[in-house]
Parts: sequence; structure tokens; C-alpha cells
Amino acid sequence: MAEQEVIMPLPAARRRTRRPSLGFLHPRMWLPLVLMLVLLGFLWQWGAHKLPYLLPPLEDIGTTLKEDSEYYLDSAWATLKEALGGLGLGLVCAFVLAIVVSEFPLARRAIMPVAVILNVTPLVAIAPALVVAFGFGMLPKLIVTGLICFFPILINTSMGLRTVPQPVLQVYRTVNASRLETLWYIRIPSAMPYLFAALRIVFPLSIVGAVVAELSAAGSSKGLGTAISLASSMNRLAAVWASIAILAVLGSLLLLAVTLLERRVLHWHETRQGSGR
Amino acid sequence: MSVATATSIQVTGARRVYPSGAGGELVALNDVDLSVRAGSFVSVIGPSGCGKSTLLRLVAGLEDPERGEVRVCGVSPHEAAAAKMLGLVPQTPALLPWLSVLGNVKLPAKVNRGASRKRAGVPGPSMEELLRKAGLQDAMHKLPSQLSGGMQQRAAIVRAFALRPDVLLMDEPFSALDEFTRESLQEQLLDLWDELQATVLFVTHSVTEAVRLSDRIVVMAPRPGRITEVIDVDLPRPRGSALLKTPEFHHYEDLVRDALRGAFHGS
Repeated sequence: MAEQEVIMPLPAARRRTRRPSLGFLHPRMWLPLVLMLVLLGFLWQWGAHKLPYLLPPLEDIGTTLKEDSEYYLDSAWATLKEALGGLGLGLVCAFVLAIVVSEFPLARRAIMPVAVILNVTPLVAIAPALVVAFGFGMLPKLIVTGLICFFPILINTSMGLRTVPQPVLQVYRTVNASRLETLWYIRIPSAMPYLFAALRIVFPLSIVGAVVAELSAAGSSKGLGTAISLASSMNRLAAVWASIAILAVLGSLLLLAVTLLERRVLHWHETRQGSGR
Repeated sequence: MSVATATSIQVTGARRVYPSGAGGELVALNDVDLSVRAGSFVSVIGPSGCGKSTLLRLVAGLEDPERGEVRVCGVSPHEAAAAKMLGLVPQTPALLPWLSVLGNVKLPAKVNRGASRKRAGVPGPSMEELLRKAGLQDAMHKLPSQLSGGMQQRAAIVRAFALRPDVLLMDEPFSALDEFTRESLQEQLLDLWDELQATVLFVTHSVTEAVRLSDRIVVMAPRPGRITEVIDVDLPRPRGSALLKTPEFHHYEDLVRDALRGAFHGS
């Protein structure tokens, strides 16, 4: 019998399929949201008409924003600085501690309970105490924001660092990779999807931290939280809602930023790759 | 027969026990002796629970025996790992998903650099050439997730060969692949092995695979894990796909099957 060569075509590598980048221009993508916003706008205006002491009409909020635009931009910048500063502080501390607790079980047993206690203590309660301790400056705001960002990053990152599949670790143990090399080349990159899952929560949350800190130290510093407490004490409803609107925009922008960053860094990750084969 | 044939892997009286529920213990390996000649291809076959993977992990230095001794090229497995004399191909490809195929294959050279420098003098084909031989030239810059399972496992084999190890340890590397992919990978493995002259310890549960690849087949039995028979496979190389249909090949398959049956019922 003649020898039959089995010639196998190599499976063509799946090309990464990307949605056409202009897909969001299709009405199916934006129309539902626009309709929803229009509906909410109508409801708001109707409510403002019925309950003038509770809700300001949208045009008043718009006018306030336009007239005092410099004040609001200033306040927004102050709040953003506190939020990002605190976030950075929380991120660095949480990341370093995540490495420590995932590498040393003893440190884990010592650190994790303390972290949990810190996490379950209401931040709103801690904030005034920190203001008493550290004054009305930047420091208590950074600490409050850092604290609020700290825990999700610590939990997720330490989990990510420990979820490297055994076979991968075994391959690198048989070439005697050092602990530091394993950490740098394998564990830290493996933890990136987990870190970004935490960042998606924590980026918008940093605004919450900054505002809570400002509200606890009102009348003393800049920031949108301060602006809100000042305006509400003077019963200027439109000004309160103007600040709230800016906070909503800031939070959304931070979420957008982290999403874009994630797309760049985690281009290799399953959830980032086109699902269509 | 030359008297001075070097021994690459030497296991003497190895015993390995795992604790099992309720204070009991499971004897994964009991008094196992194994000697593998340098440059030969040895398969370990047996039913699940016979300790074949444990044996491989002992040789890889991933576990230590309670009793007995393991030597790889005359040194302990840990020293062998430190000198980068070992290569491991696990059951799953175990590639890093954020690195391209080339990046994955090159990473073992980046870690433990001291040993890399000492081995730099060992002649052999370049990384690119190895990948080309494995049919991965077009996949070099792709991510593992963009490749089929067979190509991922090929990349894992190239990664293990890339350091030109003295001993290559393979733990059922083809068990998750379909029959066709499996056969073509066996062929490529034999090609690479032929060129790079490593000693291979290959754990499998496929009789055909063991007969096709090996110079010698070690049959193991469970409870307690032990070696029951050693069969020398005296078939000509290279072993193309035509050989699989010859009566000689079937003869060896039958020998191994009988040995396995004996191992199962004799216990």
C-alpha cells in the first residue's frame, strides 16, 4: 500500500475582529440613550414646575454654570486633584501590600484583618476625625480618598497575583526562575486584569472620597463638595445641582479614562478581544 | 554494546507518599528504580493513579521523594534546574497570554541568566529556526489565544527545546489534542528530538503514542505506584506514519497492552 501522507492544513490563525470604529454613529447605538435623556429632562422640568422649592429648572442650572464658570472649573480642578492624588496614594500602597501579602503568608495573616477592619469602618465617620487630626488642607482629603480606593485594589491584585496556573509556575521552576523573576515576568502581568477590574470601580469612587472629605471640612477649602455645602447653606438650589452635574461628568470621564487605558494595556486579554471568530 | 553509555536519569528506591483524607496516606510511588540512558526516548505508561506524573515531578525537582534518590546527569534535580539542564512540557501549553509566541519561547532564556550564559556555548539552531521547524513561522508574532490548541502545544514544546536542555520532561503533552493533530505533533517532536539529542522522559496513557515515540517503555501499576515492566522497542527510525500500520508495530502495541492488563489485574 502506498504511503499516504497526511497533509494537514494548519488552522488559519484567528484574526482579531474589531468592530468598525464608527459603529457608534449608527442610530441603534445612540438613539436609545438620547430618548432616555429627553424623557428624563421632561420629567425633571415637570417636577421643577410642580415643586419649585425642591428642584431647580434645568435652564437655571445652565445659567449658574455659565455665569460662574470660572468658579466651577476651579472647584472641579481642586476636587479632581484630590481624587487623583488620593487614588495614586491608595494604588501605590495597595499594590505594594498586595505583593507583600501574596508572597508572604505570615504577612497576609497580619495585614488582611486590619485591611478588612479599615474597609468596614464607614468612611463618612472617619473623615471628620481626620480633619480634626490633619487640618483643612490637602492631606486629610488624600487620606480619605486613598482609603476608599485602597481595599478593592488590595483584594483584587493580591488575588490576581496568586491565580497563576500551576503548569506555568512549574515550567519556570524547572529553569530555576527566581522568586523576583517569577513575580516580575509572570505574577504581575497575570494580575493586570484583576487590577483593572478594581480600577474600574475605584476611579469613579475616588471622586466620592474627595467629596466626602470636602464635606467634612466645609467652608475651609476649594472643591465641589465645598461648593455644594456652601450653596445648600444659602439655599441656592441651582448652584447645588450645578456642582452635582459637574461631579457626574467628572466621574464619567474618569471611567472613560480607565476604560481606554485598559484597552491599551490589556489588549491581549480574552474580554478585550473580539468575540466573533 | 558499549559499556560506557552514560546514564541521564537515575532513580533509585524512590518512595513518595501523599496524605489522603482522614489521616490515611496514598503511596504514589513505592520503591521505584529507573535508569534512562543519555539521548534515549523513554515513555512511562500506566493507568491513572499509578504515579507516572509523580515520577516526572520528582525528576523535575518539583517534588522530593520521602526515600530514595533522584539524579539527573549526575546531580540532584534542583542543581539540574539551576543549571538549566531541564525542560518541561506540561499537559496544557501553559503559555503566557500577554506574550507573543516568540516572547513566550524566549522568556526561559531571560530568567536565571547566570545559567543561560554558561550554556551559551552549546551549539544548536536559533530560536527562529526552531519555530520554523515546528511550523510556527507565521505564528511567531501572534498571541497564544490566536492559535489553535495544537499550535499552542507546539509553541510549548519549542519553549522547552529552546534552552537545549539535556533532559526533556513531558507530561501527557498531547492528551488534549485530536488524533490528527496528535500524530503530526508526534512527528515534529521526533524531528526536533533527532536534531537536538536530548534525553526525553515522556508520560502518556496512549499505547500507540508510547510505541511510536520510544526506545523504551516503562509500564507502571497503581496502589502502590510501581514499575511492573520495561519494554524495549526495537523499531527502525525515523518512524513515519507508515510504520503505524506494520505488524511489527502492532506486535509492540500488543506487548504493551498485555503488560498494562497484567499491571491492572496483578495488583
